[in-house]
Amino acid sequence: MNGGAMRDQWYPVAIAAQLPQKGRDSLLLGEPIHIATDETGGARVTDGAGRILPIISRYGHIWTSLGQPEQDLFPIPEADQPGRRLVDVGSVKVRCSPLRAVENFLDIAHFPFVHTDILGSEPHTEVERYEVEIRDDVDEVWATKVKFYQPQAAKSAQGGITTEYMYRVPSPTCSILYKTSPPRPGEWDVITLFVQPLTEETCEVWPWMALFDDDSSMTDMIHFQQMIFVQDRSILENQIPALLPLDPGKEIPTRADMTSIAYRRWLKRHGYTYGAQLVAA
Amino acid sequence: MLSEVFVIEGVLSAPTFEGWVRSHADRIGVAARFRESGADSVSVLVEGPPALLDAMEMACLLGPIDVWVERIVREAA
Repeated sequence: MNGGAMRDQWYPVAIAAQLPQKGRDSLLLGEPIHIATDETGGARVTDGAGRILPIISRYGHIWTSLGQPEQDLFPIPEADQPGRRLVDVGSVKVRCSPLRAVENFLDIAHFPFVHTDILGSEPHTEVERYEVEIRDDVDEVWATKVKFYQPQAAKSAQGGITTEYMYRVPSPTCSILYKTSPPRPGEWDVITLFVQPLTEETCEVWPWMALFDDDSSMTDMIHFQQMIFVQDRSILENQIPALLPLDPGKEIPTRADMTSIAYRRWLKRHGYTYGAQLVAA
Repeated sequence: MLSEVFVIEGVLSAPTFEGWVRSHADRIGVAARFRESGADSVSVLVEGPPALLDAMEMACLLGPIDVWVERIVREAA
């Protein structure tokens, strides 16, 4: 049995509006699952023994669990806020640890080098000091007051702006990014990274967004986010070690890596180690 | 160069912790001298450039897998 403490978490396995009519085989924590459409048109997910797994349909996706989740899926109140456009970005299969995928999403310092002239640009490479905490009341990792200059922060952005960010990790393979909404500066755009752990070294990434953007077409918004993720993919698939180290080992984390360190500490505290390397190589 | 005392608090009873701290200090190029060692708190004098002291703090916050670091208080030496 794989996954340990991570078995009792919810994981995305399909886009709710695009359920496979003929069913689809997949993996979750290294175990076979099957996603299908039931007689009412709803989703049905079963494990390798045919056991029907619990499901939740929320945030554009079907979520399931191999274990017995004690809690509901984490809340995203912005999902119900009028005026937002909810964007199912699609899925990308990546040959990397599911924890690595989340950690990369939390890494601000790579913007100018990987997403050059879009989410960052030289010489604006400095990451200003920001705040990170593990919030015990909600048991989540939060990074706040993150500020970064971005040439094109979103599809709706007209030129460069200093974007403010908040990052949130509410479950071991999901992260939520809140960033200044270019057309509505008083609001946060919500960009999520929902990750399905296929195995310890492969994952399916299901980004989803809740944006204020009345102008861009749905196709353009999807293409923009997919372009960003494709830029990350080659980095993710070449990281060494493939698993996410929970001991710094040969790595030298700096102050800019505070969010990553908080995320790794939180994983370590809960024993969320599927996809992690426990002892430095 | 900067000299600070890192007061590291947490579950630190693993016998490997002190060696791990020294090893990481060597790796990044800062000096680390233990002043006090206990199961739930250790005090280490760390000397080096400011950015590397920050890096030492980040690494120690995560620590080896058999140690849980709750917090690190940095004080002027």
